[in-house]
Amino acid sequence: MNELALINDAQKGDLDAFNTLILHYQDSVYNTALRILGDDDLAADATQDAFISAFKSINSFRGGSFKAWLMRTVTNACYDEIRRQKRRPTTPLEPDTDDGEEMDSPRWLADPSMTPDQKAEADELEHAIQHCLNNLPVDFKTVVVMADLQGMDYTEVAVAAHVPLGTIKSRLARARLRLRECLQGFEELLPSVFRLEEESTA
Amino acid sequence: MKQRDLELLSSYLDGQLSPSDATRLEARLLVEPDLRSVLRDLRSARSMLRQLPMRKAPRSFKLTPKMVGKNPPLPRAYPAFRFTSALATIMLFISMGLNFIRPQLATAQPAFGMGGGGAPDTFSAESAPAAEMPAATEAPLEEPSIAAIPQATMTIEGQEDTARVVETPTNKEGETENAIGGGLDQPPAQRVDTVPVVRPVWQWLLAGIAVVSAFIMAMMRQLSINRWRKKN
Repeated sequence: MNELALINDAQKGDLDAFNTLILHYQDSVYNTALRILGDDDLAADATQDAFISAFKSINSFRGGSFKAWLMRTVTNACYDEIRRQKRRPTTPLEPDTDDGEEMDSPRWLADPSMTPDQKAEADELEHAIQHCLNNLPVDFKTVVVMADLQGMDYTEVAVAAHVPLGTIKSRLARARLRLRECLQGFEELLPSVFRLEEESTA
Repeated sequence: MKQRDLELLSSYLDGQLSPSDATRLEARLLVEPDLRSVLRDLRSARSMLRQLPMRKAPRSFKLTPKMVGKNPPLPRAYPAFRFTSALATIMLFISMGLNFIRPQLATAQPAFGMGGGGAPDTFSAESAPAAEMPAATEAPLEEPSIAAIPQATMTIEGQEDTARVVETPTNKEGETENAIGGGLDQPPAQRVDTVPVVRPVWQWLLAGIAVVSAFIMAMMRQLSINRWRKKN
């Protein structure tokens, strides 16, 4: 994929060229939105909004990392969604168990290729991490998602978050520390992961 | 733990420290267990995050032209037809306006010779001989239009008028006043004013151009939309 040529075509209004870029980046953009918002449907909406907004403002892209530019768009879409949620709070449609409590891992999220034990472990890990991410301030969450989940370097994160490099370093360090503190509460739920980490650092 | 040390450790993890800063920090890590503990925590958090599974997008987020409010591309000739239609419509309205205003202006400003129906007090044979001359010359011009009026109407209502119109050039002062200001019948000069500024045939032509151009525009647009929908 010749990214630069596709961007040039998209800047001339070629929607097909932009759709090729979408197919290449949609997983990254969706996952970023998912980890920032913590909800599949909201993440899908934010992703779609981000791509629409990106196409409309594609001429404002002046080179550099296209991924960072896209991440900035999706971050803005997530912030808009969070603001909307604050104005109109909604109740999640998670199914209830027989006891009337909310089910943590709905059946429709199950991956059929995993054994029940693996699935349970993966679900627990994912839910624990997502829970801790949700407890972070949104600015911290954005930085840590882009740096640690998307593997972007500090400069790209600074472009995407539209803040100075020093602020990125500071937010990332504090976010990681807070996450670690939060995840310590799930140590019994996630023994294997922590054991591996302890062994590797010993 | 100082904020500065926390940032150093986090950057060290990501390999973002300069070689000299990294060497200094490594020396400190050897002798400061608290620093080592925090580094371990940061590394643990980072590796946990990296274990999060990358989900596949639940659907394709490809954009459609409708989503981005894109309109179908119109043919190059489209603006020309739009301009023609608009211009013809404007000209048609102007011509209608002129035809409507012309007789009213003529009656409001009778001294300009076209009407010849001025106030009787201001006109006399002596004071305005020049004003009478055009009337005398107009009479022959009026004849074809009067002659064009069907004979039936002429015999019933217009017989006296015709006589007066024909007499006008030779009439004396008082008779002229009677003919113009008498108020019994419409003065002959005003009949001249009813001839439109823009002939109806031109108005029909303008209306035709406007309608045909608008029709072609609509067809072009519809064809473009259909072609565009098929493509997308």
